[in-house]
Amino acid sequence: MDTLLDVRNLETRFRVRKGYVYAVNDVSFQLQRREVLGVVGESGCGKSVTMLSLLRLLPPAARIEKGQALFEGQDLLQMRARDLRHVRGAQIAMVFQDPLTSLNPVVRIGVQMAEPLIYHRGLSMTAALARCAELLSLVGVADGQSRLRDYPHQLSGGMRQRVMIAMAMGCQPKVLIADEPTTALDVTIQAQIVALVKELRDQVQAAIIWITHDLSVIAGLADRVIVMYAGQVVEEAPVDDLYDDPRHPYTVKLLGALPSAGEARKRRLTSIPGSPPDLVAPPQFCSFFPRCEHAIEQCRNENPVLEPVPGVTTEGVHHRIACWVDIRDRQASPAPDGEDRHS
Amino acid sequence: MSEDGAAMGTGAAPPVELGGLATDRSASLWHDAWDRLIANKLAVAGMVVIGVLLLAAIFGPAISPYDFLVQDLESRNQAPSATHWLGTDDLGRDVFSRVLYGARTATIVALSTTLVALAIGVALGSLAGYAGGRTDSFVSWLIDMTMSVPSLLLAVVVSISLKAPVANWMESMYLTTKNTVFRQTFWADFVLVFGALALIQWPSYARLIRGQVLTLRNTNYVLAARSLGVPTSRVLSRYVIPNALGPVIVAVSAGLGAAMVLESAFSFLGIGVRPPIPSWGNMISDGLRVWHLYPHLLAAPAAILGIVTVAFGFLGDGLNDALNPRQWK
Repeated sequence: MDTLLDVRNLETRFRVRKGYVYAVNDVSFQLQRREVLGVVGESGCGKSVTMLSLLRLLPPAARIEKGQALFEGQDLLQMRARDLRHVRGAQIAMVFQDPLTSLNPVVRIGVQMAEPLIYHRGLSMTAALARCAELLSLVGVADGQSRLRDYPHQLSGGMRQRVMIAMAMGCQPKVLIADEPTTALDVTIQAQIVALVKELRDQVQAAIIWITHDLSVIAGLADRVIVMYAGQVVEEAPVDDLYDDPRHPYTVKLLGALPSAGEARKRRLTSIPGSPPDLVAPPQFCSFFPRCEHAIEQCRNENPVLEPVPGVTTEGVHHRIACWVDIRDRQASPAPDGEDRHS
Repeated sequence: MSEDGAAMGTGAAPPVELGGLATDRSASLWHDAWDRLIANKLAVAGMVVIGVLLLAAIFGPAISPYDFLVQDLESRNQAPSATHWLGTDDLGRDVFSRVLYGARTATIVALSTTLVALAIGVALGSLAGYAGGRTDSFVSWLIDMTMSVPSLLLAVVVSISLKAPVANWMESMYLTTKNTVFRQTFWADFVLVFGALALIQWPSYARLIRGQVLTLRNTNYVLAARSLGVPTSRVLSRYVIPNALGPVIVAVSAGLGAAMVLESAFSFLGIGVRPPIPSWGNMISDGLRVWHLYPHLLAAPAAILGIVTVAFGFLGDGLNDALNPRQWK
């Protein structure tokens, strides 16, 4: 297989008043060329921090403690800052969550979009602006030529996110990291943006890392999904495998909390009792065990590592989980119904 | 699917009728802001008044009909006439010439105090914003403490406690060196006024700039720009400075007006520029004593001070609107 990005044992911490917040703990994953990788997890589980760590865009309080991020064989975490700047935008680009605040309010769209093209591709302003107009029509912004003259506040949220995507795709990066790009948008626009990204993936042939806390968004988009919890990867599987046969208790619960279209009305949506742990202590046990109904003694003493589920592979892609328990064995005993637990 | 913008956006957004985008690159914000400013009648009026003020400050004493110090005891307390446009005061000095010179006093004081206050404010404010942590806590504490003291009180304390020692020092320097420079207490006065005013004004600049640096450093658009490989120098020149500068320019415009009012207030109270050097403040003070007999002696400097203050206010408002694209309609 053709591995484009290989992240190994990444650890990122934030310094706070009393000690550290262990935001990313021993995260490893790979991204293949032209693959769409979904990264799922609830807020604060380290999805964004992981991605910001790769491009070293973390706030000053954060530090990458260890790990490697090999992009085409080069370690992004060790690279010189000026070399890294040529990777950002040109090789790996990001789209952020909030399109309303991701554009500089005092610079017109065109000039702003042209910036990376001028810097990475050495285009002149005029050439870059012409390219930007093309890019805008590519992402479905009508009348791109005149939109170039607009200031960000003159565009709607959906249009601004299209502009951000056009900007990120402008230099035809090999990896596009989309950090919850649809969260700030309403559902119809969300669907349009997802459709747009699919289209672009086919056209530009970029690999995509799509971060979300919404499992339904990536169901039809991703090839493979990793599930994160408390700064760790707890499950990794091809997308269909994950939905059909989730193996980690957290993923099972997460999918249980999802309404599905074909389902009868009578089932109440389940929620996961408890809340995710504070990350002020380094993980020494399974971080999900306090909320887990399958927990055994080992869970409270040892932190499980990501290991392939025996026997399950789809086209050579392993299904991995970080769990001491094989929930298959447990499902005979009826799990307590999630109903009314939270009411 | 591309309709959402037109439907949801600022639907009534008018076409921006400006020149070719490719040609007005980095200047575009300033260019647009200038157009907006010019379109604002009050701001233009303010600019005209301030322009006249500056001309008066520079050339006034040279073109004034009389010397502002020359007394003509034959013609005291005259009402405005063709020979003395704004009349004469109780020592027979031409009020118009004195008001003209007052423009110079006000301008010198306002410009230098604002410059000093801004320098301190930029230095401490950006230091606090960038460094954060303890430096930030200390600077913020300093700002809060200075601001918590009533400004006039602070100025009075500084001015009075320094005036005597400085005067003594200058006198002793004169006695030892025989250098007449040290007889020029006039400059000592000015420096003390600048110092006291700068002491009052720096905290608001420092606080503004600290806030700007803090917010801008953490904005999503700075992060987005960095994520696309825009180099630091361009992030600073195109993202941080233009966004920080608008509020600072507005604050400076308002601050200049405030400094002029404060200078007049000081001089009015007798702790600022002292007679015989004319300042609008000490002229108002003198005029107030005889206002019922010779109202023009009070009216002339008071009216000028009022007009200039309002002009700075208009310009500040106009700049605020012009430099904030989000308020453009």
